[in-house]
Amino acid sequence: MEISKIRNFSIIAHIDHGKSTLADRLLQLTGTISERDMQEQVLDAMDLERERGVTIKASAVRMQYAAQDGETYEMNLIDTPGHVDFSYEVSRALQACEGALLVVDSTQGIEAQTLANLYMALEQDLEIIAVVNKTDLPAARPDEIAQEIEDLIGLDAADVLQVSAKTGANVDRILEAIVRKIPPPKGDPDAPARALIFDSHYDAYKGVIAYVRVVDGTITKADTLRLMASRAEILPVEIGIFNPNMQPIDSLSVGEVGYIATGLKTVRECRVGDTVTVAGHGAQKPLPGYKQAKPMVFAGFYPSDNDDYDDLRDALEKLQLNDASLIYEPETSQALNFGFRVGFLGLFHMEIVQERLEREYDLDILATAPSVEYQVVLHDGEVLNIHSPSDLPDPSTISEIREPWMAIEIFTPEDYIGPIMDLVTKKRGEYVSMDYLDSKRVQLKYKIPLAELIVDFYDRLKSGTKGYASLDYHFDSYRPEKLVKLDVLVNKHPVDALAMIVHEDEAYRKGTRLVSKLKRLIPRQLYEVPIQAAVGKTVISRANVKALRKDVLAKCYGGDVTRKKKLLEKQKKGKKRLKMIGNVEVPQEAFMAVLRLDDDG
Amino acid sequence: MFPQLAQQRDNPCARTMTTQPTSMITPPASLALYVHIPFCQTRCTYCAFNTYTGQNNLILRYMRALERELAFVGPQAEAPVATIYFGGGTPSLVPPDAIRSFIRRAGEIVTLLPDPEITLEANPGTVDESTLRDLRRAGVNRLSIGMQSADAGELRLFARRHDVEDVRRTVALARRAGFANISLDLIYGVPGQSLSTWQHSLRAALAMNPDHLSMYSLGIEDGTPMQRWIERGALAAPNPDRAADMIEWATGYLVAQGFAQYEISNWSRPGRESRHNLHYWRNLPYLGLGAGAHGYAARTRYSTVLLPAEYIARIEAQGAPLAYPLSAAAVESEPIDAQTAMTEHMIMGLRLTGEGVAAADFRARYGRDLWDVFGAELAALLAAGLIERTPDDRVRLTPRGRLLGNHVFAAFV
Repeated sequence: MEISKIRNFSIIAHIDHGKSTLADRLLQLTGTISERDMQEQVLDAMDLERERGVTIKASAVRMQYAAQDGETYEMNLIDTPGHVDFSYEVSRALQACEGALLVVDSTQGIEAQTLANLYMALEQDLEIIAVVNKTDLPAARPDEIAQEIEDLIGLDAADVLQVSAKTGANVDRILEAIVRKIPPPKGDPDAPARALIFDSHYDAYKGVIAYVRVVDGTITKADTLRLMASRAEILPVEIGIFNPNMQPIDSLSVGEVGYIATGLKTVRECRVGDTVTVAGHGAQKPLPGYKQAKPMVFAGFYPSDNDDYDDLRDALEKLQLNDASLIYEPETSQALNFGFRVGFLGLFHMEIVQERLEREYDLDILATAPSVEYQVVLHDGEVLNIHSPSDLPDPSTISEIREPWMAIEIFTPEDYIGPIMDLVTKKRGEYVSMDYLDSKRVQLKYKIPLAELIVDFYDRLKSGTKGYASLDYHFDSYRPEKLVKLDVLVNKHPVDALAMIVHEDEAYRKGTRLVSKLKRLIPRQLYEVPIQAAVGKTVISRANVKALRKDVLAKCYGGDVTRKKKLLEKQKKGKKRLKMIGNVEVPQEAFMAVLRLDDDG
Repeated sequence: MFPQLAQQRDNPCARTMTTQPTSMITPPASLALYVHIPFCQTRCTYCAFNTYTGQNNLILRYMRALERELAFVGPQAEAPVATIYFGGGTPSLVPPDAIRSFIRRAGEIVTLLPDPEITLEANPGTVDESTLRDLRRAGVNRLSIGMQSADAGELRLFARRHDVEDVRRTVALARRAGFANISLDLIYGVPGQSLSTWQHSLRAALAMNPDHLSMYSLGIEDGTPMQRWIERGALAAPNPDRAADMIEWATGYLVAQGFAQYEISNWSRPGRESRHNLHYWRNLPYLGLGAGAHGYAARTRYSTVLLPAEYIARIEAQGAPLAYPLSAAAVESEPIDAQTAMTEHMIMGLRLTGEGVAAADFRARYGRDLWDVFGAELAALLAAGLIERTPDDRVRLTPRGRLLGNHVFAAFV
């Protein structure tokens, strides 16, 4: 395809603002997919994505569009993940495009992450086509929202397209706008080949499939290719395009989007952001912006049943094939035995991984409360990176503990400023600024410790604002804080998996709440079980789980034998999910209690 | 402390079993016969049994179906019948003639051992003196009367149709009609019940001079009104600690009154244990007749169709013969292998607080040594102080284990 007839674009939208439905419509209008094959939301391949209404893995589809000017255009829609944890992946996907559709729900208005992604697109000089969606809904305020977009980014409100992806109304105008407004790719067809990897997935037969945008030159199936950051050299198994299924072709030339089946065994050798060139006489300079994914959140994953350890390891290995940002290493806990400390891009990423392990690999996982990476400066000047409270060295050797702080942005109707201020203050946050987006909505900026952000902050923000607030965050800096380790002792034994690092001023409050939560969560045992919270050797809170006195089934006659036996079996099965700590049975929920310390009751 | 052990020597049925133990190979010495009467005037708020209201018009046809079912299954019975138990539901709704007819037919179809125990569950206020006399004459020699409580508030909560006065009158009439063996049922651990209302109920029951007492800690069953009330927050959930206080008080009181506990929920005067129920707890075979009845015979546990009308239809149609012990009414059956039988033996046998599980009996029944089969489980329970081993090599619950029975039983499943 002639480079002037290529259009590469992505869609920037908030969760539920209709990105997937719109993508479906575009595929239908361009005849890329027949009505019969039309599965709702074709682009989201995984069940999990469909259920959560978010896109986890980006995908790229080539469409052929016969425009009103009589020409046929090759359009590449590059999908992007919809969550802040994946902002690096979003930035790479945007880098592969010349334009973006900004899709905003006409009943909701623009949200924090959307704006963050939009700024990212603007920084990369992408042409923006603004679309307000869901105009078919009775609560739609398309003109108002269009005005909001004008106020925010200076696009003329009159140019904002008003569509309904659901009914299809005006969707054709989007295709025309893409042709007219988004510039064709620039690039040197004769330069040594350079292609940007903006996503990848693992295929059992073809190895890692790299999703690429060719920036300069041409890549053919016969070339030996080199990945400039990982230095891997490959002979492609296959080169092709998505339309939307994988279709092999002979070459990909400048400006085009497609895939390279690399034959590589793990996505770690084929990272998002890396540059593909040809081996030998390839490009000298990689494309800008490559970063190694850096996990921000860490949690211990343990199999509920110790016998499943090998299965868990295999499952993590398999997930990692597809998820270069997932890291893990073996970890041993006195309480939970053998498991893994797993690093994630964010809390959302952690939830997805946990769900996939449970759903796709049928594993019962016990996840400890998430932790962040602390920098511990020792008296001798050494700096340790600590991912788990139990790794904290002897306090007498520590000169300083630093924790990661995040800069956050919250978009909210002004009615909820008060509750948000309260929430942020409770979480040790600092106010930065407040700006009105329009007459009713404000943009709040704060700085807040990541450790506070990952513990129920998002849920509380949502519930405190009836779901209206949206959140974006990014790393700000490490700051020294007065942090201490809060130990929990069950039946006088310290339980490593329940320890947490907390601010000194909060230790008493958190310790007391944790103890009272645990008291309710730990079932009564045959003996009284004391539960204590301690900082160093000082016990700051204590409660007793009273001994169980009576549990016996009152009636068991001839008709009851089978039923009662099943009841006992069920009871016993339930117990298998409990972890024995010393001689105390502790349920799974106890290890997550730390996450709900601020719940009422 | 456990007079029922001594008492067995006077009990012909029990003696047969101890001196000539049943085994998986040799046929058991006796069978028990359970007859389910699924009819009630109204449903109690805690009840999850297979019972129906408004179908009393079916009773006579149902009773004929019972005889037919017994005629079908009974001739193949592997042992003579030692006990018959009419449970429900409300068996006292059945006309005494129909009970008499059934017992007479039973005598023709199966071999009844001499001096069979024949129990009928009766609700206070549902029987008058002549009915009681007729029942006695029909052969019923034991009455189990659903007293439940002496507290008017608790009886209202249960939606019982009687007051404590009705119970007294029924007991008195039964004595006059010649019943020498009367059991009362009581419920404790009831939301809102205090230790003092419980004491009042138990004293009221003792004042009626029963021979046997069943005291049930209230269990909240799925699908009952009580469960819905608790779910909605209209009623407090039973508090197991308070129930423990109640049963601990009752234990001391009953011992002082000359009663002995022989099962987790059952107490009696010497020699007045329920022979029929002992049969269950000793894991011995029984036939279950009627709608929603359960049986265990020829190494098979089975149950029958729940709806009375469907039961009647199946029995009247007779259908293709099924292998003993199943009748045309059977809907579920499960073969019990040796391992399962041993597990069930522990779960049931350890409920017997006095006799527990005897190693000798276990060996005679299953050809295996109790301590080989369950050594690890028993050792853990002994260490936890939940069971004890007697000098004559029985294991049984300790006083603490009696309250924590689920902990004990769960070890064997």
